[in-house]
Amino acid sequence: MNVSLNWLATHLDLSGKSVKEIDDLFTFAGVEVEGIVSKGITSDRIVVAQIREAVQHPNADRLKVTRVDAGEGSLRQIVCGAQNYKVGDKVPCALPGAELSGGFIISETVMRKVESRGMLCSAAELGLPPDVDGLLILPDDAEIGRPVKQLFDSDVLLELEVTPNRPDLLSHRGMARELATLLKTTLKPLEIRSAVVSSALNLQIQSTAACPLYTAVKISGVTIKDSPAWLKQRLESIGLRPINNIVDVTNYVLHELGQPLHAFDAAKLTGNIVVRNANDGETFLALDESEHTLTPDDLLISDQSGAALALAGVMGGLTSGVTITTNDILLESAWFTPQGIRRTSRRTALSSDSSYRFERGVDPQAVLTASAFAVNLILETAGGTAETTTEVAGQAPVLTKPVTLDTRKLDQLMGGSIGLTESEEILTRLGLTKRSDGAWDVPSFRADLQRHIDLVEEIARVHGLANVPSRFLGAFVPASAIDAAYDADMVLRRRLAALGVYECQTIKLIADHQLADALPLRPLQDGDIIRVKLPLSEDHAVMRPSLVPGLVASAARNVRQQAKSLRFFEMGRAFRNAGGGKARDQESDSLALLLSGGTAPAGWHQSDRAADLYDLKGLINALVPNKNIRFSPKHRDGFALGCDIKADDQTIGVFARLKPARERELDFTSPVFVAELDLTKLRKLLAGIEHVEDLPQFPGSSRDAAMELPATLPNAEIETVLAKCGESLLVACECFDVFTDPTGAKLPADRKSVAYRFQYRANDRTLRAEEVDAAHHKVLEALSQKLGVKFR
Amino acid sequence: MKEQIPAIQTEALARIATAADERSLDDVRVAVLGKKGTLTLVAAGMKDVPKEDKAEVGQLLNAARTTITAAFEEKLRALQELTDRAALAGIDVTLPARIVSAGVLHPLTQIRDEAIGILRRMGFALADGPEIEDEFHCFDALNTPADHPARNEKDTFYFDSGKLLRTHTSSVQIRTMETATPPVRIIAPGSAYRRDEIDATHLSVFNQLEGLYVAGDVSLPDLKGTLEYFLHELFGPQTEVRFRPHFFPFTEPSFEIDVKLTVKGQAPRWIEVAGCGMVDPAVFESIHNNRKDNAFNPEQVTGFAFGMGLDRLAMIRWGIKDIRLLIENDVRFLKQFA
Repeated sequence: MNVSLNWLATHLDLSGKSVKEIDDLFTFAGVEVEGIVSKGITSDRIVVAQIREAVQHPNADRLKVTRVDAGEGSLRQIVCGAQNYKVGDKVPCALPGAELSGGFIISETVMRKVESRGMLCSAAELGLPPDVDGLLILPDDAEIGRPVKQLFDSDVLLELEVTPNRPDLLSHRGMARELATLLKTTLKPLEIRSAVVSSALNLQIQSTAACPLYTAVKISGVTIKDSPAWLKQRLESIGLRPINNIVDVTNYVLHELGQPLHAFDAAKLTGNIVVRNANDGETFLALDESEHTLTPDDLLISDQSGAALALAGVMGGLTSGVTITTNDILLESAWFTPQGIRRTSRRTALSSDSSYRFERGVDPQAVLTASAFAVNLILETAGGTAETTTEVAGQAPVLTKPVTLDTRKLDQLMGGSIGLTESEEILTRLGLTKRSDGAWDVPSFRADLQRHIDLVEEIARVHGLANVPSRFLGAFVPASAIDAAYDADMVLRRRLAALGVYECQTIKLIADHQLADALPLRPLQDGDIIRVKLPLSEDHAVMRPSLVPGLVASAARNVRQQAKSLRFFEMGRAFRNAGGGKARDQESDSLALLLSGGTAPAGWHQSDRAADLYDLKGLINALVPNKNIRFSPKHRDGFALGCDIKADDQTIGVFARLKPARERELDFTSPVFVAELDLTKLRKLLAGIEHVEDLPQFPGSSRDAAMELPATLPNAEIETVLAKCGESLLVACECFDVFTDPTGAKLPADRKSVAYRFQYRANDRTLRAEEVDAAHHKVLEALSQKLGVKFR
Repeated sequence: MKEQIPAIQTEALARIATAADERSLDDVRVAVLGKKGTLTLVAAGMKDVPKEDKAEVGQLLNAARTTITAAFEEKLRALQELTDRAALAGIDVTLPARIVSAGVLHPLTQIRDEAIGILRRMGFALADGPEIEDEFHCFDALNTPADHPARNEKDTFYFDSGKLLRTHTSSVQIRTMETATPPVRIIAPGSAYRRDEIDATHLSVFNQLEGLYVAGDVSLPDLKGTLEYFLHELFGPQTEVRFRPHFFPFTEPSFEIDVKLTVKGQAPRWIEVAGCGMVDPAVFESIHNNRKDNAFNPEQVTGFAFGMGLDRLAMIRWGIKDIRLLIENDVRFLKQFA
């Protein structure tokens, strides 16, 4: 909400208060100051001064030393560089402490060894439109010592954010009331004659739930014209555009008192006003020329012809408003139920200063006051005759009730930092009154104060947290399972970072077309995808069922930025429906990995090597170092090389390469390998050992063997045979070479040679060569029998 | 034999002197001192030396062996020194390094871990809850009226099932209090969702850190002390902290917290970092009504809650001007946080 400081000052004495102080007052009242726009001169410390003397500065050619009369009883010495004045001229003088436009604060200084106790100002330095080069020469009749700001139009516009619980602040009067409370001062009285009311003969409310109170007064013979200057200026000071005297008065009263009003052209009404619900499908043409189809939940101001004159509390109609030809007006002031206004405003996407206030709740007791206030102003600015009585239908709702302040609870919550007397004084200043039974009566404009805690809040707010002591105490609590999971995740994250992988954070809402890259542990089925109802865009339409699509998109973006080495991981939640959307939503924690391109960038000592699947396998091995990580081929739709990832015998994730066509589509120049791992399982694998193993006491021996096999035979089959061959002396084996010759020269093209090193050891003795040979023979025999291996 | 020994010595010393490398030097050693070396063969002839000459010849032999060995070792040292010098010569230590790829934790992880680290030291334990929430846990139980602006489909992501994406991590407060017993002292980092168009300062999915402390006597001084301490740990002990009254449906009184920070190249200014407040009794009421015990009787417990945006903290900490950098994962951006 925009607030003009000049306007505010018509309600309470703000003299001597700097903008900074007022900013702080609002801030600590809970009203956020989002912007401050100064217009003209604001500081009281810039005054009219007469130059009585000007002599050459002893140490500077371009400066003069002046002595000026600023109305202080004695002359003030000021060093000045301007040339455009003569002795006897009146100029603006910024006294020490004055704040110039741009936030510069004047202080007493010494310039080139001559004391200078202030500053004579140019127009630009005061934030006024630049005039001539040099000092701003003021009129001869300007009164010495008077603040210069009084000679010019100046104001400060405050852009304030009012929290939804404080509709009472949505007017200048309301803001002033709040400041008066905080400053412990009183408001200037508001002179409003009270309205003479009559019960409504010509008003009919059909929906009292949506409109408990409706008042109208007719003013005949008005002259529609421009508003007087003061009124225009008020509206312009808060950024509103003046329209005509009637509309301006209603807008003015809204911003003055917080009560929205509406003026109809009486000639356009047929018979009586009827407040009714809209018919289903009824159309309404708003004054902003937008057309709306209404529902019975919307409230209309109508008449006996059934015309939709105004969308109650939200916006007037295009045809029923005041125009240049209007002679008689009907002025509406009413109280509409906030929930209804909010629903209509949202449904029609129409909002106005009126709906903003109605949906937060206006003061029911101000409905008639505001009407009377507006009638006076209309008569003043547009002439005419008002009917002597205001017609009233319904009753002002009572929204407040007496509230008891529980002093024991107050003391507990405030930590004893405020006494009861002071607390009660705060409530009193806020307009509450203590009843004989000890409860507090709440003013009608503070319907937000309903419970004990609401009173505590007011006391805490006005008292200020700065005046509450700090306490450093806390209960001991045990670590949770989430703590353990977090710690495990951080271990994995740090390991991956140490292994040269970059952590990513991608957005959990992805596009439909990205689902093609999803690689969840369990393949997706129809109905598994969770879709938001109203996505912001097609790019963020479904909950990610896997983290891989996000990583692929991030990698693709980096490829477009010429990145050569792509090593990414992300940890986080994935989402899917269980059982085709009928069952519960499932959230699971995943770790996704992506490798593509250079494993180490080419340099003077090495050439580049593109990452392959064994790099990714190695990465997973390094993540859980003491587990046997195996890739077990399993087809994945939409991917190449799909594998289950197993740690020992447990499936912990999925591996695949993007299909080469998909890689080309995304402009990758190297193969893209991805994996998604079940974080819950990985965390368990990090548990660590229970007992340390004894180190071998006796040396072992190794034997190498080169075997010739069909080129298509998977290495896993060799591993399986070795695992099952039952040779207890075999403690380790390692594949150290794989040789193929596509030309068929050294080896038939459909064969490969695989070299293994076998390690033999016994725990209780040093093996004799014959024992090793016997064991090795048994191993080779098993390989040759099961796989038909030929040894070379 | 007496004549042979000096001759062998002279020849050996000459050959040692001219040996060009370690291998030819070792050849000399083998030829003279080896199993079949000249001096060894002479020594083997000692058994034939007349008894009266044995002492003299023995001395000669020892002297020759000592001299030759000394010359050999000296020459070996000299040759090794030459080899070592050659091995070290011509190495350009100023050439670029062999690259060891270093990875990096995402800045959000870093700031989250720092904040969590401080709060865990202060005795908070981690808690968690689902991101796909129901209206009860996200709004109703948090004292948010049915027609609250945040609850419409333009501001919150809903699903056909009627569920929604939690708009704040405050739902974890409810999830925790449903089963826990006071004292409850938890923090919950996690994602939250709002239907905001993505731009330089908004993400539709963002990260929060929630905190809750409920016990028999939790007061405003506890809230103030805890959050002041936390922010001093996070931003430095001299950082000015202020609490501005504010409004949240689920706390009363409520505050927003500003810290005075100097962003590089700017004057120090107040920057909003968190929201907080005393748990509204209505929140305890809704927990209490759904529990069979008296653990969260609003007459018997009080508490405070706080929440902060981690993306925002990261932006403040590192002067990140566009929040989208946090989800784009450009390696040139991420690298800087290594």
